Amino acid sequence: MHLAVSLDIASTGQAGLTFGEIAALVRNAETASIDMVIISDSLPGDERSSSPFEATTLVAALATVTEKIGLLAAASTVTHQPYNLARRFASLDIISHGRAGWNATMMQAPREAGNFSRPEGFSDDDFRRRTEEYIGIVQGLWDGWDADALLFDKSGGRFHDPEKMHLLDHKGAFFSVRGPLNVARSPQDMPVLALSGLAAADLDIAARTADVMLLEDGPAEGAKARYDDLKRRVMAARHEPDAVKVLTTITLAAAYRPAAVADRLEEQFRAKTCDGFNILIPAQPSVLDDFVDRVLPELRRRGLFRKSYRGTTLRSHLGLVGGGDL
Amino acid sequence: MTGQMKLGAFLWATGHHIAAWRHPKAHVTAGIDIDHYIALARTAEAAKFDMIFCEDAAGLREANVGIASQTSRSIGFEPISLLSALAVQTSRIGLVSTASTSYNEPYGLARTFLSLDHLSGGRAGWNLVTSASPIEAANFGATGLKPHADRYERAREFAVVVTGLWHGGPSGHDGQSFSVRDPLDLPPSPQGAPVMVQAGASDVGRDLAARTADVVFTAAQTFEEAKAFYDDLKGRLAAYGREPDDIKIMPGVAPVVAETEAEAREKFEELQELIPDDVGVALLSSYLSTSDLWRHPIDGPLPELPESEGMKSRQALVIEQSRRDGLSIRRLARHFAGARGHWRIVGTAIQVADELQARFEGGAADGFNVMPAYFPGELDAFATLVVPELQRRGLFRKEYEGTTLRAHLGLRRPS
Repeated sequence: MHLAVSLDIASTGQAGLTFGEIAALVRNAETASIDMVIISDSLPGDERSSSPFEATTLVAALATVTEKIGLLAAASTVTHQPYNLARRFASLDIISHGRAGWNATMMQAPREAGNFSRPEGFSDDDFRRRTEEYIGIVQGLWDGWDADALLFDKSGGRFHDPEKMHLLDHKGAFFSVRGPLNVARSPQDMPVLALSGLAAADLDIAARTADVMLLEDGPAEGAKARYDDLKRRVMAARHEPDAVKVLTTITLAAAYRPAAVADRLEEQFRAKTCDGFNILIPAQPSVLDDFVDRVLPELRRRGLFRKSYRGTTLRSHLGLVGGGDL
Repeated sequence: MTGQMKLGAFLWATGHHIAAWRHPKAHVTAGIDIDHYIALARTAEAAKFDMIFCEDAAGLREANVGIASQTSRSIGFEPISLLSALAVQTSRIGLVSTASTSYNEPYGLARTFLSLDHLSGGRAGWNLVTSASPIEAANFGATGLKPHADRYERAREFAVVVTGLWHGGPSGHDGQSFSVRDPLDLPPSPQGAPVMVQAGASDVGRDLAARTADVVFTAAQTFEEAKAFYDDLKGRLAAYGREPDDIKIMPGVAPVVAETEAEAREKFEELQELIPDDVGVALLSSYLSTSDLWRHPIDGPLPELPESEGMKSRQALVIEQSRRDGLSIRRLARHFAGARGHWRIVGTAIQVADELQARFEGGAADGFNVMPAYFPGELDAFATLVVPELQRRGLFRKEYEGTTLRAHLGLRRPS
């Protein structure tokens, strides 16, 4: 199974963690060969965040103190222009040598638009159409340079091959973006896209564009049908049901029984309700320690989780096409 | 100008010389190699530079793809992610990135730079630019570049909102270009507020700098130009209730330095030889905000040009030099290609230090933004040859005075 850990660094009611403390948490997850850590980002809602860090800048820093683990940052389609967001993540992917990803949400954050000169916000339908267009632009920009575009030919005076750099020339209902991106192609071809906050109307968009779907944990009886439905949609859009990994989000409380957690994950995984889990962990080092030291050995003993990373890129960890060293 | 000079290490692609990437000792894969940048940052920090400086554009530098493919400037790191990575790989040096007021929103930019400030323990700075390139505009849905005055009107409001957010406000901003409802959700800056940097040298750009900037980068070739700019800008501060020392003026300098003057000249000529004519002319055209230099004979004089909506101040500088020195398009192109209109010094450490000292003590600069011709070699040369000479003369620090960028620059902590 695939395992992501979501670090809720912005959780309220406690002092924000320092960079050193966050780095220690992520290195701990890396020691356990977790696929990826997802860094949340929150703009002010009714409760104030306690983290001093914005997610993409934090991921850039974390990339320099880790070697294998995937690093996803949440970033909003309202706060960034698509060209800027595509650049930021393309750059993160090069800094991390192919371990970066973007966690995008299909859900509008309630107070966000009001801080970004859009006091009127977006209707749900506009937000959905706009987000789909936005994702298409970002992925199109990420694909603008062919893998062999850079020549570095000093004596011939050819830095890159102009035939292998492609304009996007996108003109849509919400954006027009000419391209190309001024950041090189990712070592894993493209940063990983994980979509969350999915409503029923978003599922086909996710099936067409996402690498990972992050789903809320639902009632057990509907879970298998939900997974089968998603894989059918992925098959229809991509001709390959495994092109998208479906991860179910599980919240770990501060106190839990490791054997019970392992049982629960095994049961849901073996029932084919998901491809793995997104473990939401409060920003307390002891909870991750417990998961790594007591739940993961149990999952490994049952043959359900890797002992070590096989590749070096996030796409490789996730078993996705591309990924450089899959 | 008091005490010691300030120094910035301006990191850009494979080097500031347009043909830098072709030099045998240049690190040609700089744009995809984070370890290269970590090494450069540590070199600059070991030499006690005040800051690393990254420029930025949200698009290609050159519309002509054939020309672009002969330079190394079409790909590179996005600077905020780059500096965030460098923040945890260094401990003292300031980290300044350029970001555009035309293609960002103040709330997001203020928050991102504040995060960089926290990652670095108070070493972040923002270089405000309004973005003059139509290539960038086409990546943001614009059908044409906004007029100079409109861009600056937006920039002024942008700067007011950003500084307000950094200082804990505002409770609701509803202006011409932006509306912001909430204060930032991050703790206050470790240095009071990230450092504000500007580079616009036009009249409206100078006024905006006098009002809001802590540091001003500028291009000035001669002592007289540098001095005139320095006096003009410092003279504008009183109108905004500020002291002359509240702004540090740091002209760009493009040194080529070696153990002997002959070696330095040889090194420079080697670089000049690597510039293809079409690349030089294209670069000159972009600094003049024109596209039809091609139609004129390359060995003839610069034609009359309409005043640009792009970079007014830079255009005037180039035209002035071409008239003064009677340079052909080809010679002007080569001349500007390497230093991009900045001040070039080719010589020994003593010669370079003499020139810097003269401008510093002559009241034409508070410090310099150093633009090495290629990386890593020319940054190393400046750090190992020129910096010790400046230190020997008491003109540059031997140890950092504090831990924040404001402390290095001797700027007051904002209240």
